[in-house]
Amino acid sequence: MFEIGKKGGPESGSRPDSGPVRMETSAPRPSAMGSREAAVIGPSIHIDGDVRGEEDLLIEGEVSGTVQLKNNSLTIGPNGKVRADVYAHSIYVDGLLEGDMYGSERVNIRKSAQVRGNITSPRVSLEDGAKFKGSIEMDPQAVQGVVGRPATPKSAPAAAAAKPVAQQAPKAEASPVAKTGLV
Amino acid sequence: MAVDARQRGGGSAAAAGALAPEPLNAPLFHSLMQRMANGGRWVLLDLGAARSATIRAFGRFRCRLEIVDLAEGLDALNGETDVRRVRQRAEQLLPARRGELTDIVLCWDLINYLNQPALAALMECVALRCKRGALAHGLIYYSTRAMPERPSAFVPVDDQHIAQHAWAGRDRPAPRYTPEDLARCMPRYGVERGRLLRNGMQEFLFKL
Repeated sequence: MFEIGKKGGPESGSRPDSGPVRMETSAPRPSAMGSREAAVIGPSIHIDGDVRGEEDLLIEGEVSGTVQLKNNSLTIGPNGKVRADVYAHSIYVDGLLEGDMYGSERVNIRKSAQVRGNITSPRVSLEDGAKFKGSIEMDPQAVQGVVGRPATPKSAPAAAAAKPVAQQAPKAEASPVAKTGLV
Repeated sequence: MAVDARQRGGGSAAAAGALAPEPLNAPLFHSLMQRMANGGRWVLLDLGAARSATIRAFGRFRCRLEIVDLAEGLDALNGETDVRRVRQRAEQLLPARRGELTDIVLCWDLINYLNQPALAALMECVALRCKRGALAHGLIYYSTRAMPERPSAFVPVDDQHIAQHAWAGRDRPAPRYTPEDLARCMPRYGVERGRLLRNGMQEFLFKL
């Protein structure tokens, strides 16, 4: 069965039918960052559909569709396989991801990761050794257009720019951005 | 940002036998960075692999960095003999065309690892993604007769220097493309400037 909420309480969502699944965890939780253990989608779980929640999530199984954790962190573990656009406060990738990433705070691609997709986030880090094909949006104005909150300019010369920015349609709302810059 | 201390290109074989990086004074790379520092939004197409140092170097500019990681597709490109198929392969390796066109193409040393039909097809497909006046930066093995068997990882050290993390092991003959060869394979690209680097490579800045 699904392991969403497994480590954090009783709110696990599961459906026995094989159709598309929209998975939502019920109780609002404080943002990620070590306040509690993350919910886990275990290695034997395959989900086709939307995964939404308000708690941190670790994916060790396979997910296709979308993943939305607006105020929480998503970790794709070393064995995780996600074919989805993902929206989260923070996104950490150790496994395989095919899809676009919208991290309102940060996206961290670790060296074991295999990623094909585009990253939009005020803070992006990529460890050497990671396989990455796609684009990284590093323009504070463009990131702002997607995450919906003013971003602090990265550096004076770059921020003084006057050229128009190509409009990008926001794909999702996201939580506040505290700071812009790569880490 | 975490950076692998070896910086050899990601594979264990590379890590086992790579050469120490040698920062190179790269004046044309410096001129690119100066142009970017003047401001504005830039779209970069990096034909090489994703490197933390590259992301860090360009992260202070208003830009979108598209990373192609072409190295794994080189054999497929070079192996095609039919012109139309080569072009199809090149299209498959490059990111989908978007509304926003590319300002700067980072070729690094990959040009040396493409035969002439593959080079022509790839750079034609790249040109279709570029703005008029876009710049392409490339490094050609010119005065040296041999080059590493596989493409090196080149990373910016600062605004003026790049480091080559070359593969150890066997070398292979370098095609030593001349400006005439390049003009024939890349007719849309004019050589804006060329400089011979101290490692024997010719640094080129092409303009579309």
